[in-house]
Amino acid sequence: MRPRLEIALIAARAAGTLARRLGQGNGTSLPGVLARRIDPSVLSSLVREAGMPAVVITGSNGKTTTGRLITALLKAEGIDARSNAAGANLVQGVTTLAVSNADLHGRLPPGILVAEVDEGAMRQVVPELAPRIVLVVNLFRDQLDRYGELYAVSDAIESIARDLPSDAAWVVNADDPLVASLAPDRVGRRVTFGLDLDCSTDRLTRASDSIRCPRCRSDLEYEHVYLSHLGSYRCPGCGLRRPRLDVAVTALRVGASDTSLTVRIGSSELVLRVPQPGVHIAYDVAAALAVLVGLGISPVHAAEALAAVKPAFGRLETAEVGDRRIVLGFVKNPSSYNTTLRALGLAGEPRQLLVAASNTKVDGEDFAWLWDVDFESAAPRFEHVTVTGTRADDLANRLKYAGVDPGLISVIGPANRALDAAFAAIAPGGRLTILAGYTPTMELRRLMNQRGWVGPLRDA
Amino acid sequence: MRDGPVDAKTRDRVPLLRIAHLYPSLLNVAGDSGNVIVIERRAGWRGIATEIVPVEIGVSVDLASFDLIFLQGGQDIEMAVAARDLQGRAATLREAAGRGVVIFAVCAGLQLLGHRYIPQRGPAIEGIGLLDLETRGGNDRFMQHAACQVGFGEGTETIVGFENHSGLTELGPDVRPFGTVIAGAGNNGRDGTEGARRDNIYATYLHGPVLPKNPWLADYLIRIALERRIGGRVSLPDLDDSLEQSAHALALEVALRNRGRRTALEPARLGRA
Repeated sequence: MRPRLEIALIAARAAGTLARRLGQGNGTSLPGVLARRIDPSVLSSLVREAGMPAVVITGSNGKTTTGRLITALLKAEGIDARSNAAGANLVQGVTTLAVSNADLHGRLPPGILVAEVDEGAMRQVVPELAPRIVLVVNLFRDQLDRYGELYAVSDAIESIARDLPSDAAWVVNADDPLVASLAPDRVGRRVTFGLDLDCSTDRLTRASDSIRCPRCRSDLEYEHVYLSHLGSYRCPGCGLRRPRLDVAVTALRVGASDTSLTVRIGSSELVLRVPQPGVHIAYDVAAALAVLVGLGISPVHAAEALAAVKPAFGRLETAEVGDRRIVLGFVKNPSSYNTTLRALGLAGEPRQLLVAASNTKVDGEDFAWLWDVDFESAAPRFEHVTVTGTRADDLANRLKYAGVDPGLISVIGPANRALDAAFAAIAPGGRLTILAGYTPTMELRRLMNQRGWVGPLRDA
Repeated sequence: MRDGPVDAKTRDRVPLLRIAHLYPSLLNVAGDSGNVIVIERRAGWRGIATEIVPVEIGVSVDLASFDLIFLQGGQDIEMAVAARDLQGRAATLREAAGRGVVIFAVCAGLQLLGHRYIPQRGPAIEGIGLLDLETRGGNDRFMQHAACQVGFGEGTETIVGFENHSGLTELGPDVRPFGTVIAGAGNNGRDGTEGARRDNIYATYLHGPVLPKNPWLADYLIRIALERRIGGRVSLPDLDDSLEQSAHALALEVALRNRGRRTALEPARLGRA
């Protein structure tokens, strides 16, 4: 082994231990940062020498949850799977995933790496990781300040698809017109997934993203709309149609706290239940099963595996604190915000709310998208809102214009004081909902852990 | 919340403010619909009723019958679709402008009110030439917090927002800039101009959206639209703008901190070729 790689691995291990001991961000990207500084080719060296197959998950919404489902499905089939579970999905986070699973001789264990990768980091990560599977879950408008435009993101992913070796499988959401039509002339295996229900579960709204034909730009006609711009569609202009589904959800029931669904794969049918509610969960399940199809693994134990899956960090994770309850929801764009608000609305929530927005490299700088969140529908339920984060002022102003009385809004910059104030305001037996972007979710969760309300992140 | 008359005596004379929102589902990408929400609310808080008419592709309306018209930001592909439809509305928009209807345009809207947009590849997109300006596709994208100083109204005011465009706009002799760049790239990153204006047409590159954090500008648009409708001076009662002013101050602070940079973050990892 090259000495540089060895030093990189030792340094990464020390950094990981230190970061965890200090409770700093749970060491999710620091080891990768350090290892790459010492050996810039550490990631490709590790995965190529180990020959450890990798699955890359990219797209806008549901990467982390889908990664957890894939890991659970693989483990149920006796295959060890390692994933960057905390959502550290830039190149440093993916490098941390590899180095923290390698021994000091640069060996990775037998099994599969499941790497969630930010859309913008794909160009760097995919060539280094040489994945067997690339999964594109969907493309919603997300962090436009970083990517410029949605089409720039799809162009970049398309060029990755073209460069992917033909023995790698390309797994795509057929219900997303833009995703389904990426790299149509790519030579190699493609697995499609989607919903095949006999009625719509959503309708097109102003916030829907790509509802024009990616080939000829005519307005698409939808037979059914399932979630935002996802659905079964055809183009009246050029005849483009949703591709045939290799993995199809044929029945769906969304409960208050779970989702029941039937999934058709080829000629077999799976009847499944996942303890998380939402149409988006059905997409995540279908995507995860499509990855197993792409890997050539039969998901025979899928029902048990999915029934036991816990929500990913911050995905409406619930903490019981005495007789009070705190629900933590990670939201990052209009579609995830609207999906979460709608799911909470089924139970008449949220009423006591703590919301956070911060500008960081991960969360972006431009918070214009807050104006595309449908706060208006939820605002009448709000009894009190605490607003925190470095962009608290933007968020508070947005809430005012959504119809929340400014007298019900407290702006408290520091997260620890905001959390304590919001907690103190919960009535006995009451419930506080926290909705926050990535960085404030991490911070608030760490503060909740310090107060003994939730376990450390790596156990979540 | 703060429903109250503009003035008890003149309430009966306060008309309905009719607002046309052009292509709300097509040019929807940058949260600019927040501008329309702000006008609706700030008018409503003063007892001024509003009617907002979404004008989608192919919907026939007489734009000259409105008081305020919004034409805002969208992506290149949607912009090209909107441009085709807009050609069919050139006459009614020109008539509206001639009658002093207030037109507020952002980003793609600014480009479409100009003569044309010439992309780096592909055919030019024809605008309607209401503003004497032309835009060319550039190599890089300006994505950053920005601020400019405007001189219309009583004195000078600072306007803050977020710019996200790769087009380079050059103003002709028949328009004035909307403002002078304090931070950010403005029209082209070169001449210090930001946006364009002529008569009651105001066009800017600033997203954010711009009106929520610049309540003065929102009120200015409401006021000149009302004055035109009434044919006399209008004085809008003050509102408690403390949240808006905090958002304004924060945006100005980050814009000034980013002064001289092209993007707010590391260079875009996904710039277009």
